[in-house]
Amino acid sequence: MPVHLQGPWNELFGRLGLLLIPHYNNPVIFFAFMLVTVGGTAVLTTLTILGRWGWLWRDWLTTVDHKKIGIMYVLIGLIMLFRGFFDALMIRSQQALAVGPNSPGVLGALHGYLPPFHLDQVWTAHGMIMILLAVTPILIGMMNLIVPLQIGARDMAYPYLNALGLWLTAVSAALVMIALFVGDFSHAGWVGLAPLTELAYSPGVGVDYWLWSIQIGSIGTTLGSINIIATIIKMRAPGMKWFRLPIFTWTSMATSIIGLTSFPVLGVALSLLTFDRYLGTHFFTAGLGGDLMMYTNLFWIWGHPEVYFVVLPAFGFLSEIIPTFSRKPLFGYTTMVLASFSIAGVSWLVWLHHFFTMGASPKVLAFYSITTMLVGIPTGVKVFNWVFTMYRGRIRMEAPMLWAVTSVFLLIIGGMTGMMLSIPAINYIVHNSVFVVAHFHNMFMVITYAAFGAIVFWWPKVFGFKLDERLGRMFFWLFSTGTALVFLPMYTLGLMGMTRRLDYISHPSWWPLLLIELCGIGFYLVSVFVFLGMIYVSYRDRASNAVTADDAWGTSRSLEWLTHTPVPFYNFAVTPIVHALDEVAWRREQGTLDRQPERYTDIHMPNNTGMPIIISGFTLICGFSMVWRIYLLALVSFIAIIALVLIRSFTKHPGYVITAEEIGELERTSRPHRQTEEIENPVSMGTGGGSMPNHGAPAARHPDY
Amino acid sequence: MKWAKRYVLYFRYLAYSPLLLLSGCSDTHFWLFNPKGLIADTELHYMIIDVTLMAIVIVPTTFLLIWVVWRYREKRRSAFAPEWSHSNVIEVVVWGIPLLIVGVLSYYSWRGIQAVNPYNPHALNSHGASTARSHKPLTVDVITTDWQWLFVYPNKHIAVANELVVPTGTKLHLKLTSTSVVNSFYIPQIVGQIYAMPGMRTKQSFEVDHPGRYHGFSAAFSGPGFSWMDFKVKAVPPAKFTAWIKKAGTSKNTLNYASFSRFAEPTVNIERKIHYFSDVKTGLFAKVIKAVRSQRLHYVTPMAMTENMHAKIFRTHSN
Repeated sequence: MPVHLQGPWNELFGRLGLLLIPHYNNPVIFFAFMLVTVGGTAVLTTLTILGRWGWLWRDWLTTVDHKKIGIMYVLIGLIMLFRGFFDALMIRSQQALAVGPNSPGVLGALHGYLPPFHLDQVWTAHGMIMILLAVTPILIGMMNLIVPLQIGARDMAYPYLNALGLWLTAVSAALVMIALFVGDFSHAGWVGLAPLTELAYSPGVGVDYWLWSIQIGSIGTTLGSINIIATIIKMRAPGMKWFRLPIFTWTSMATSIIGLTSFPVLGVALSLLTFDRYLGTHFFTAGLGGDLMMYTNLFWIWGHPEVYFVVLPAFGFLSEIIPTFSRKPLFGYTTMVLASFSIAGVSWLVWLHHFFTMGASPKVLAFYSITTMLVGIPTGVKVFNWVFTMYRGRIRMEAPMLWAVTSVFLLIIGGMTGMMLSIPAINYIVHNSVFVVAHFHNMFMVITYAAFGAIVFWWPKVFGFKLDERLGRMFFWLFSTGTALVFLPMYTLGLMGMTRRLDYISHPSWWPLLLIELCGIGFYLVSVFVFLGMIYVSYRDRASNAVTADDAWGTSRSLEWLTHTPVPFYNFAVTPIVHALDEVAWRREQGTLDRQPERYTDIHMPNNTGMPIIISGFTLICGFSMVWRIYLLALVSFIAIIALVLIRSFTKHPGYVITAEEIGELERTSRPHRQTEEIENPVSMGTGGGSMPNHGAPAARHPDY
Repeated sequence: MKWAKRYVLYFRYLAYSPLLLLSGCSDTHFWLFNPKGLIADTELHYMIIDVTLMAIVIVPTTFLLIWVVWRYREKRRSAFAPEWSHSNVIEVVVWGIPLLIVGVLSYYSWRGIQAVNPYNPHALNSHGASTARSHKPLTVDVITTDWQWLFVYPNKHIAVANELVVPTGTKLHLKLTSTSVVNSFYIPQIVGQIYAMPGMRTKQSFEVDHPGRYHGFSAAFSGPGFSWMDFKVKAVPPAKFTAWIKKAGTSKNTLNYASFSRFAEPTVNIERKIHYFSDVKTGLFAKVIKAVRSQRLHYVTPMAMTENMHAKIFRTHSN
């Protein structure tokens, strides 16, 4: 064993002896455990009773279809969003309870119901989950779903790699969830505050869970970025010139470039930390020559681009939703592309603003202050472009537009506070305060609002029916009330001087605002149920909510609305030829939107493969055993991963062919409405066609991996 | 012309008072809007400049957005320009105005950095010329441990834990370091923050104008004892300060490297206890930095220490 560890260790079971430490009987953890166990058992039982295991394996777990992978990404993101929300609920309730020296304490805490040891894990998990396992998968999922359709591609450039990226993200999420019950999670912040993450200050397995989870997940994200870039460069339909790419595709491209260039830096930072914790090196400890600020630099060289990694696709959503519901082209398309890439470009130059207070020289501070403010210029331009897109339009305030417009409002407030934080003289007084927390949550709300808008917007494209508008609006208003009640008091508390990450609130004057925040969390909680209700009701009434035209909103503009709604597994029966920037809008004007292809050609499709999920399974074992330092098992599973990757690399995977006749048959049976439907009235009820999409190819077309 | 200067100061607040009213900040609990020291005052000044300049863009944009959404709802049948998507004039304006504002803000950012620079604040130096000329700056060494603050007055040979006593109207020069993880030294009403980092030395300078009691704490999370890791700040007139120094010098606890090492053991200061030390050895600060760098001063947090705050192991590590 290379480093001295507190607690038991042996070759066979590693540090699993740590589980005997008695705090695992905590009712809070028990409740979470019951929630997950009951939920998981219910899902597994349902699958068994319905006999859907084979279906699950053939149609979903082994799929390489970008749409299904996208759906699963979004699903992982939504589940983790719920988990992260629960963490937020615990943080807020603890802080509201633990005010003043006379506040009571239960469950081993002096104040409130969570001792610092536990609460610190909760907010660490909250941050990491929300950024890396909720927002990121939802955005990558949407990119997966939409980008190939927007550029007229059959699939991603590397379907197998795409599945691998998904399952590695799932492993990352699984490790965090396992940490809930088996051992602890990190208490050193989602950023991994060095040297708090070093073995001396965090002797348990928590930091290791955090480390391996991020490391594995970020490999998945990097693979995803490579895939998106390759897809956009190589898979565009004929006529889809660079400056005919929809803005969402452009922002996906910018995002993926950020991802590809910044995630490896994170990988290096985390690897060095791993060496410190496992091998006893001193990269980030003050003793023996290390420098903790080196970690902070490396982390934020990734961390700040990551912020734009998640915000750019959200800007892309807004740029698709707002023109559609304004019945106008996007204002300043070229400028929008330029702005996106400016933001991406500047994102690499701003990281030091995360630690203005470390005592760097005025010149260094000035450089990073100004680069940070520069980001405000293209962002401001985007806001103006959206406003001028709506100007002289015909705005329909349906649910996606409601989310989008609010998102722009939030962006204005977030931009304002961001500019405040970028001035070092101000940053000195608000750094690490809840003002900063309110600012970046504000920005994440921009993303969340855009993402919810996007989910409602593209839902019919994927599933063939619209989401219930009434419940959708109710969800929006409840969620927005929650946002206002949580984040306005949080900004105020920041100006009162409240620091982030407090377990115990020693100043009773903050209490009223903390209680208001708790009320806001209550609204969020109700909105979660309304969201679930919206999904349920929309599915129940899918026949009447069904979309019978390909263009669900009647005024959509980009290429994804050209193919069927819902999208068949082969995307386009015939690869479309692109004539204009907003192809669907152009064809609508030309009156050629409904033109049928004259003849079909054979389509070559990739085979499903179980390899990604199997490799990821071994990765999970490898990660888990590294966390608990069961080195033997880790080695065995690592060898298995390498072997499987090699085997796959030498396997010929020719895919299969759907013949032209089969396509013709599928097209005739799946779009009977095609000849009769009026373009202007796409949502007419009761014309049938409300069946669930047949995403899968016939089973016979899936020879195994 | 001291009164004139003060008058201008008040006028400045008057001019920006609507901003303060926005969030009902007349309350003294709004530390950031009630600065009691020159540095915090200057920081607020730059915040007001920034907010005002930003408001020039933000407020009209917000109203434009509201107006557009209200005016061009489908049912209102307002002017419709389904093809319109480009205008060179608008392009120039929407790039130009943010660029201009960022330019102006950059200038103020640079000025602000100079003014409150922890190592050599311009505000303090120009101010010192008028009011604090007669006083030599007072030096304080700040050492943070897990999870306590130690303030050493090297020239007075005393030290005090978890309480900082300073004379008003006197420049203070601080040197800061940490024995374990990163902390951030922060007194909201007096001075912005600066990191205290293990094995490294940072500096801070400030001055307190008004006698009183203030709150100081670490703003950077440092582990389970973080929430209890705050310190009282007492600003007293110089005469009282001298008396206090004398009184602290009578403490029976002495501080050398050995007793410091005992003090620096992981401790959650739940009772918020204040300790005085007399006969402090010269060069303690430098010695601590050296010891941390060579890992001779190195504490390992006991794994089960903070899992249950009523447990015995926790009680042995709190005071």
